[in-house]
Amino acid sequence: MGSDYFSVPIFFIIFRETTEAAVIVSVLLTFLRQVIPEDHAMRRRLARQVWGGTALGLAISLAIGAAFIVVWNKYANNLWATSEGIWVGCFSFVAVIMITVMGLAMLRTAQIQEKWKVKLSKAMGQETERGLGSSSRQYALFALPLVTVLREGLEAIVFIGGVTFTESAKAIPAAVIVGFLCGLLIGYILYRGGNRMNLHRFFTASTCLLLLLAAGLVAKGVAAFETYAWTKATHAQSDDSGSYDPRINVWALACCDPNANNQGFAQLMNALFGWSNVASIGTVVCYIVYWFIVMGALIYMKLKRRRIAVKEYFDKTTEEDMYSEDIKGDDLKEEANDTPSSTSVIDLSRDGVVVGDGIQVAKANH
Amino acid sequence: MLFTTKVLAAFALTSAVAQAAIVTYNWNITYVMANPDGLFERRVIGVNGVFPPPPIEVTVNDTLVINVINQIDQPTSLHCHGLFQTGNNQMDGPSMVTQCPIPPGANFTYTIPIEQHGTYWIHGHHQGQYVDGLRAPLIIHNINETYQYDAEYTIAFADWYHDQHSVLLDQYLSIFNPSGAEPIPKSGLINQIPSATFNFVPGKTYRLRIINMSALAMFWFHIDGHEFEIIEVEGTDVEKYSTTAFHISAAQRYSVLVTARNDTSYNYVIHGDMDPMMFDSVPDDLVLNVTGTIVYNEASPLAPIETSDWPDFDDGSALVPVVAQDVTPQTVSYTLDAAFSILNDYINKATFNDITYVMPKVPTLHTVMSMGNLSSNPEVYGKFTHPYILNYNDEVEIIINNADAGNHPFHLHGHVFQVVGRGDGYYDGSTPYTYYNTTNPLRRDMIYVPSLTNAAIRFKANNPGVWFFHCHIEWHLQAGLAVTFIEAPDVMQKVLTIDPSHYEQCEALGIPAKGNAAGNEGLDMTGANVGPTDLPTGFTAKGIVALVFTIIAAILGLIVVVWYAGDDTKAIEEQVKKIKAKRALEGDAQ
Repeated sequence: MGSDYFSVPIFFIIFRETTEAAVIVSVLLTFLRQVIPEDHAMRRRLARQVWGGTALGLAISLAIGAAFIVVWNKYANNLWATSEGIWVGCFSFVAVIMITVMGLAMLRTAQIQEKWKVKLSKAMGQETERGLGSSSRQYALFALPLVTVLREGLEAIVFIGGVTFTESAKAIPAAVIVGFLCGLLIGYILYRGGNRMNLHRFFTASTCLLLLLAAGLVAKGVAAFETYAWTKATHAQSDDSGSYDPRINVWALACCDPNANNQGFAQLMNALFGWSNVASIGTVVCYIVYWFIVMGALIYMKLKRRRIAVKEYFDKTTEEDMYSEDIKGDDLKEEANDTPSSTSVIDLSRDGVVVGDGIQVAKANH
Repeated sequence: MLFTTKVLAAFALTSAVAQAAIVTYNWNITYVMANPDGLFERRVIGVNGVFPPPPIEVTVNDTLVINVINQIDQPTSLHCHGLFQTGNNQMDGPSMVTQCPIPPGANFTYTIPIEQHGTYWIHGHHQGQYVDGLRAPLIIHNINETYQYDAEYTIAFADWYHDQHSVLLDQYLSIFNPSGAEPIPKSGLINQIPSATFNFVPGKTYRLRIINMSALAMFWFHIDGHEFEIIEVEGTDVEKYSTTAFHISAAQRYSVLVTARNDTSYNYVIHGDMDPMMFDSVPDDLVLNVTGTIVYNEASPLAPIETSDWPDFDDGSALVPVVAQDVTPQTVSYTLDAAFSILNDYINKATFNDITYVMPKVPTLHTVMSMGNLSSNPEVYGKFTHPYILNYNDEVEIIINNADAGNHPFHLHGHVFQVVGRGDGYYDGSTPYTYYNTTNPLRRDMIYVPSLTNAAIRFKANNPGVWFFHCHIEWHLQAGLAVTFIEAPDVMQKVLTIDPSHYEQCEALGIPAKGNAAGNEGLDMTGANVGPTDLPTGFTAKGIVALVFTIIAAILGLIVVVWYAGDDTKAIEEQVKKIKAKRALEGDAQ
């Protein structure tokens, strides 16, 4: 999928993991800025802990990741022909699941920041400047980013392992680098205060693209299985014969073959949407069914979230509040965005003013 | 003196009569169990309960009569390959071209005046029955042979399968064979028996009649320790051409002269090496090199087998007919492009000029004889018999472009043709054809055209009849690599007489005996046998519907994604308001 030199799914995996790691770092740094507004030296020292942990986590992840991918590919190459239809088909479906999950997870990036703020508050408790000076706290600032970056990194490796079968080896480096840079960019924007709405649109668009890719991969996986079965039935030498099972065929165009050499547009369509000049009942139906499954899951999750939000609202408010006409917009916003209730969040707004990181923080109501 | 003269005259008269004998063969076509390669016993088609069928031998000017009784469970027919059948088209044999096949249990008599001499063969021409063994050499002696020799042997090569031809045909013409791979034989045979030996006496000269009766294989012929001279090609005597090896493709025939060695200390191996290029793949257990033995002395050991490269062999340039005949300028020229492709029945089929041959409902000859003036209108024969109407005495040229990756041996019934030219690649007619031999070119009835080359042949349309032109690889004929030459239909109606039994035979099979290719009158072709044509290259209706639904599904999915990612606050507000209102009502109601 993608061109020969840029793997689109790997780009998105690296991008997402980097974004999440960048979010964590940005939250930690923002936290430091809030908690230690005056002592720059100390703040810088503690910031270095954060960066140190992050960098080490990244380094270890990269090392493990590179080794894993090399071994995985070598082992896999020796064990079975990577062009064998059945293996391509199976790993395509693994990739579909991973990409779909990742695409949906991406929509919750705003929530990631909130989640991390909660985690931090739990890890650090109510901190004071003096409290942060103690060594155990220092190493917590080092350990926390290290562990989380490492975990994100390993998660990325597993995702890549699942997706890498359908990619050629030379498509990986460019995708990794560009994904990494894009993730850094997003993290930086978040730290500096990006416009929430634009970021939301960006993540929504990314998810749309990812799901289109996954749907295309469904079609391609099914096609790989069918080609394998047909190759066996016709005792052909290889999968490349270009012949297809006429009994299940839906269209077979003489033009627009993504496997042909000079068909750039067809290849692009194949990478983005899973287009092929040969389609069967299986590929078409599975493509459509994938979208219906995704739609069903999305509708279910959204309606469930609403139900929970409504329920939590009613659990939280008092009897008197229930009869008041004055619905607290902020409370609803909390519920709508699934943020934790105000009592457990770090009070980063000492003077009750919304801090300038662009993310609305639930104000303490009491 | 007078008495002696009278006696002499009487003898002369007798010998003249004896030279024009009626030679009768009674052929009961039967199934037989046989194991000619020693590897596998199977059911074959034999004659009079015997396999292999015995050769037919006649002399020029004889009349050959074959009384056929069909005692197998399938219709059948026989074709004497290479015989002109002048004015006798209805005895030529190809099923649904010149006759309805002989129904099971019925009899049919082929009466054939022998007007030529040389090495020929007779084989089944209904479906692929000759592959199941219904084939035998047909040797026609000349009264005075051109060349002198002491004795002759017939060496008939053939490829051999273990499955029935109908089983192989189903596998070959199947959607599961999109590459069109021909069935690969299990072995090769000489004279369809397990081992062939030929006794040679030192110093004698032998004529070896080499025939290839295969469905597919091409053989390279050579004899250890002996050189030979080609003296005859498919009925045409040629100037002696000395060589050590030559290739012979399916249905071709050659005669060679070999002089026996002067000592009997060794016996020698005769080779027929099957050319692996004809096979899609060569299984490990297939013995390509078929061997027989030249026996000088039973007790002598075999001389060691020689290996050498196969020499170049171009029949057209190497072989020169003894009886010279120059090329006459052509009056009509046709180009036939031979190709294979998957047609819209999803089976890999053969085409000449994009038309695949399909049998008509009425034998083409019967259509000629029953359609009156319309017999000169190619429409009445149907598109898929691929008819070419030739006028009497046309000088016809055919240029064959072999656009396929395989090599093909093409055969014209009812004629020998002159091999006037060969070329590389595809001849598109934009430049004049480069003729390489217009002075006494070779004459034969088989032309072997290698892959991606072309060849030009010439013949005079002086034999009124329906003459089949097809690749003699049996599988390819079944795949449709054939056209029909309808030569002088107006003259045919005057000259040919078809026995009513031929028409009755059609009716016995439920086949219309007369009428156009659809069995109808005039130009009404409804119900004609129609063959497959090209696959659609673009979207069909079902393709467009499928594409539209996939696009709709994707768009709907994306809409839901955007909705899912949207802010939920308002919706939750609405729900909370509703519930509050409801509770307020309940509260009031209490």
